[in-house]
Amino acid sequence: MIKREFKVNFKSFVIWLAVLVVIFLVVYIIYPYIITDETMKSIDEMMTIFPEEILKAFNMDMTSISTAYGWFKSEGFTFILLIIGVYSSLLGTNILLKEEDDETIEYLSSLPIKRSKIVTSKVVSGISYIIIMILLFGLFNYISLLISGSFNQKEFFLLSLTPIFVSVPLFAISLFISSFFHNSKRVIGISLGFVFISYIINVLSELSDKVKFLKYFSIYSLANVRNVIETCSFNWLMVVISFVITALFILLTYVSFNKKEFD
Amino acid sequence: MNPVIELKNLKKYYGDIKGIERVSFKINAGEIYGFIGPNGAGKSTTIRTIMGLINKTSGSILINGEEINHDNKQIKEMFGYLPSEIHLYDDMKVKNLFDYHASFYQKDCFSRRKELVKLLKIDENKKIEDLSLGNLKKVGIVLALMHSPKIVILDEPTSGLDPIMQKVFHDILLKEKENGTTILYSSHVLSEVANICDKIGFIKDGIIIKEDTIENIKKYNYTYLQISSKDIKKIKDDLKLEVVSETNEKIIFINNLEINELIKKLSKYNIDELLIEEIPLEDLFLKYYK
Repeated sequence: MIKREFKVNFKSFVIWLAVLVVIFLVVYIIYPYIITDETMKSIDEMMTIFPEEILKAFNMDMTSISTAYGWFKSEGFTFILLIIGVYSSLLGTNILLKEEDDETIEYLSSLPIKRSKIVTSKVVSGISYIIIMILLFGLFNYISLLISGSFNQKEFFLLSLTPIFVSVPLFAISLFISSFFHNSKRVIGISLGFVFISYIINVLSELSDKVKFLKYFSIYSLANVRNVIETCSFNWLMVVISFVITALFILLTYVSFNKKEFD
Repeated sequence: MNPVIELKNLKKYYGDIKGIERVSFKINAGEIYGFIGPNGAGKSTTIRTIMGLINKTSGSILINGEEINHDNKQIKEMFGYLPSEIHLYDDMKVKNLFDYHASFYQKDCFSRRKELVKLLKIDENKKIEDLSLGNLKKVGIVLALMHSPKIVILDEPTSGLDPIMQKVFHDILLKEKENGTTILYSSHVLSEVANICDKIGFIKDGIIIKEDTIENIKKYNYTYLQISSKDIKKIKDDLKLEVVSETNEKIIFINNLEINELIKKLSKYNIDELLIEEIPLEDLFLKYYK
């Protein structure tokens, strides 16, 4: 059953990974041509116009975008967190509901398997694809950045793994939300809304100390990218919270799916 | 000995909306139970509750005397299920779906699968998405039977099958019955199940309103009684039978009087024409739903 799950979700995995790779490949190819000493000077001047809070929100206060790696740590990483977050959220929304969308749940339910096994195979496949995507994309970035120059490899390694702490809980939360619905069309909006609102809240929380408390309401604060860049280490508390959120929502999905009616 | 399937006052409500109100029946080993009712009567709700797709509101579903546990692998292995509308994995080839299906059962399904594929003339190399409704139904039949289940639940199984395949399918079911398989066969066409069922349960508005063996149902002394006479009014008052149609000189009753009693009553009148004929099962079925 798990084998089938991997097969079913392979196509979307390849498409999403390809989108990420193409976007970053284009940037890595054109970056040396657009970032010259002259353009950098004008970019630096432009940066002075932006308030510090805005620069902080995109980690641009800690890093210079004069190199490809600098871009990767700031703007690039924003893309990575958002795109992999959206992929994870959509995967969590669709992975169980696809059986109801396609009305194959009636056949699946007639097989001699526990409902919890259905959830397990979906969870294993979903989380595996998210992690594989992050690892493969990390490998792609590593090779690309090696070609373009030197960089802090430990920092890169830790940064590359950071999306896991956001994407996997996003997958689990979307999976749980989907267990209350019978059609994915109605849930996709909720799941994507959750991703973007969560991201915006996290950005807002960086703007001022007065609104710093907002980070407690955003799943994106689990990535804690600033901490990785500043200390070159993970904030293990956030890693544990990420794990606990994932486990909690997966557990709740088991409970909800076991009670679910397929009519 | 416990019946293989026993439903006791099974009830299912969707909030305030009634699905089924009171469904009770027993099916013994090797019996085929015809579950008859019009669309919306509660047949599929009953079946989906038995299969654990929806949760019952109250009542019991007993399998071999024990309350069913839908999460029990051994119990689920006993079942073969053919839903009324079958939806399978479109991306798979028929043979791959059969392999996938067999992988869930701890028994060798290959020889039975081969036998059924041959009988139903299925092309295993076709993709599910390329199958016609009839062929999809045939694939569904193989999926329901290839693991030689002890209990088979069929919800409107012949929709989409041509008459020749319906006959082949019924022959397969009779053979299953011979081997001791217990079958619940839901249909809204009585004549379809009359020749293969041992017992019939009629469901209306979520309640089993009548249950009997097919022999007894056929034995009910219901006949159409057509009389032409100038004494129509008197005859009508005297017989007190249900009237199907009536003109000034001709009347058709549904008659359940014993023949000698009927002749005795009619002998008092001047009859021009008398016609007694058996009520077809379909009409009998409709009578229950009036």
